[in-house]
Amino acid sequence: MTAEKPEENQAAKTPSDQPDETARREFIAKAVSVFAGGAIVSVPIGVGVATLLGPAFKEGQGGIKIRLAALEDLPGDGSPKLYQVVAERKDAWTKYPQKPIGSVFLQKLEDGGVIAFNSSCPHAGCSVGFKSKEVGYYCPCHESIFLLDGSRGDPCVSPRGLDSLEVDKERLNGGEVWVTFQNFAAGIEEKKAI
Amino acid sequence: MKRFLDWIDDRTGIAKLTREALFESVPGGARWRYVWGSTLSFAIMVQFITGIFLWMAYSPSATTAWESVYYIQNEMSYGWLLRGIHHWTAQIMVVLLLLHLVQVVIDSAYRAPREFNFWFGVILLFITLAISLTGYLLPWDQKGFWATKVATNLAGIVPFIGDDIQKVIIGGSDYGHHTLTRFFALHAGVLPGALVALIVVHIYLFRRHGITEAKPATRAGALYYWSLLGVVFGTLTALAFAFEENTKQWVPKIVCGAFIAILVRIGFLIRSGKDDDSPTRPKRDGMFWPDQILKDAIACAAVMGAVLFFVFWKGTELTPPADPSQPYNAARPDWYFMSLFQMLKFSAFEGAFGLLIGAIFVPSILVTAIFIMPLIGQSKKGHWINVVMLYSLIGGFVILTAMGFNHDANDEEYKQGVLNAHAEAERLNELIDINGGIPPEGALTLLYNDPKIRGARLYAANCASCHPFGGTDGLGGKAKDPSAPDLKGVGSKKWIAGLLDHNRYVSEEYFGKTKFSKGKMARHLKDIDMLPEDIEVVSAALASEAKVYGYSLPEGGQDFIDSGFDLMFEDFECADCHGIQGEDEGSGPSLTGYMSRDWMIDFIGDPTHEKFYGKKNDRMPSFLGAKQEDGTMKAGELSRKEVELIVGWLREEWPRASE
Ligand code: FES
Repeated sequence: MTAEKPEENQAAKTPSDQPDETARREFIAKAVSVFAGGAIVSVPIGVGVATLLGPAFKEGQGGIKIRLAALEDLPGDGSPKLYQVVAERKDAWTKYPQKPIGSVFLQKLEDGGVIAFNSSCPHAGCSVGFKSKEVGYYCPCHESIFLLDGSRGDPCVSPRGLDSLEVDKERLNGGEVWVTFQNFAAGIEEKKAI
Repeated sequence: MKRFLDWIDDRTGIAKLTREALFESVPGGARWRYVWGSTLSFAIMVQFITGIFLWMAYSPSATTAWESVYYIQNEMSYGWLLRGIHHWTAQIMVVLLLLHLVQVVIDSAYRAPREFNFWFGVILLFITLAISLTGYLLPWDQKGFWATKVATNLAGIVPFIGDDIQKVIIGGSDYGHHTLTRFFALHAGVLPGALVALIVVHIYLFRRHGITEAKPATRAGALYYWSLLGVVFGTLTALAFAFEENTKQWVPKIVCGAFIAILVRIGFLIRSGKDDDSPTRPKRDGMFWPDQILKDAIACAAVMGAVLFFVFWKGTELTPPADPSQPYNAARPDWYFMSLFQMLKFSAFEGAFGLLIGAIFVPSILVTAIFIMPLIGQSKKGHWINVVMLYSLIGGFVILTAMGFNHDANDEEYKQGVLNAHAEAERLNELIDINGGIPPEGALTLLYNDPKIRGARLYAANCASCHPFGGTDGLGGKAKDPSAPDLKGVGSKKWIAGLLDHNRYVSEEYFGKTKFSKGKMARHLKDIDMLPEDIEVVSAALASEAKVYGYSLPEGGQDFIDSGFDLMFEDFECADCHGIQGEDEGSGPSLTGYMSRDWMIDFIGDPTHEKFYGKKNDRMPSFLGAKQEDGTMKAGELSRKEVELIVGWLREEWPRASE
């Protein structure tokens, strides 16, 4: 609609032998129709686009704290174990009391601490698996290898190592592993929560 | 009738329109090589028709998408055929589009004044790819879900606005209902709408400029193309027979039939000509109707035939429902995106910047290169640049695609991922049958409550790090460094018999890597040195306590079993340590109800219970929690439900269709 505007302007400006007054009236009539038409159509389009773009302005549901295991249940030899994350989640209109939303590797460290990695590959989001203590983690999509401490191995096309998740220190002292589960933007160097 | 038609024509001008549409002249006569555009229009029409009927049965939401597709595929009459045609036509459409593009470039049909038509055509190509990409997700199965996750994550790396683009596409920061509603609106509304609008312009422009006349057909040319086709089908025939066992019986026959038909055609061509460069027919102009339309119709029939061939041969895959917590080792895009996928594995595209180049810049440059072809190709030299560029593009596409598939064909994890997905999908179908339908929360709940599927997964996650299962992790993967008894067939007579054999007891198959290999039981087994017939009777007695799935009374009946217990009490002094048939419990694990469902649940729940190993327990966790020394309860790692599922799986007690 608005694209027609320049053309209309030009038409109005072409010199003619009509009296000025008629040309002016005609120009106003054209300009008003174009603007009014554009304005009217922009209402439905604008509203539609506003709902479409809505998610861009909404924050994600953020991290959730969740108990995954007791400390002594983790393999003592330091090999990682995959835990499913099941949590209450809202998806548009549905509230799931128990929804599988991701999975986390837990690994007992020698000093008694625990590290947790989101199993989602930081390259493009496939699920990373654990190969062996020698090789480390392996992503079956673009064949990236991550070392046992989550850092980038070789080969590894991923821009960063596995995303570690926060483990609650206090509860860990009490023998329980609680983790803040969160997803991070893939494909960039920075570890950015989404 | 005539008057009625005239009446209509008078008010609509339809006669003129039809005349114009049909009586277009085809310079140089109708030709086979002009059929591609028509086959494409035909394929698009097929997609619209089948798509609309699919739409009538499809429901886009995270709890109904997979379920409605399942229904279409398995229960709706001819639904499998409808979905099959839609799926396979989409595949063939991509091939036709590429052929169409190749032909246009080779014939330099983009030269002035046809540039705009070329550009519209290229846009159409990308709209089609976008429709395919969005359609891939709609069944909301594991395959579509993971591929879409990768694709949308790649959209997310676009500089500055990537995040927002990604959120808008998936309708939030999590994948769910709105991802599906958005993809569906794009797939069935926005993109097809744009497609139709552009096709109208494309065909209008095509008609405005007329067909690009190709060089006159010659016998040599025809021979060349038919021989090319012959080589392709010859190879396919060879392949089909080489892999005969892996495919349906009729597949090689049909491929071979097509090959023979091509050979016959070549034979006729050879017989008919005198001079190799003579045109196959006098050069005279033809009419679109009926000359070209007849050829078009035959070509379209061939397309439909190919589609049906694939529907019947390959079927149409539906992997298990999407589950973000369930790793899927076979996450791959559809084949026409395989080259891009494969490219991202190269170290040249490593890191954030590399990914940006590989996933965004390189494709954009290639697209731009195709777009400016008409500008380059105005001169003869430019034309050759284009042809070389196109062939290298296609060469790259083919090589990368082949590399990708070749890698997968040799990748055990990938293959296991596909096998597991198919097995799970099949099992889910069975469960839906047994249940008489899908519960309102969705099909995933059936899988999550099934001992056969979920039990195996739980076993792999919680038990397999110590206990192998027939040498595997329970899901077909390799067991990693096992240290405790292999539990495949646990509780069966065969398994128990192995346990009673001293040599096997102390081997890695059973307790070789635990402290029990040097324990009392190991010594006792060595001392009593049971004869094979003793083992036979005693294991029969214990198996009658376990009664795993498929248990039946031994040949000797109850007497045989009783004699087994007698042996245990009297000859082998088992009762000194073990409680048997409800008699006093001893220091060893109770054998009352040995390996029965309840026994196993209790045992896995807490092996440190005095009924079982007590303090002698070696490393096995109390999965349902245990009383600690200070009297407090320590929580276990699994829920009772989960332990039940594991036990159900080990004992093979899962719902079966025949029951
Ligand atoms: S998604 Fe893991 S390597 Fe690409």
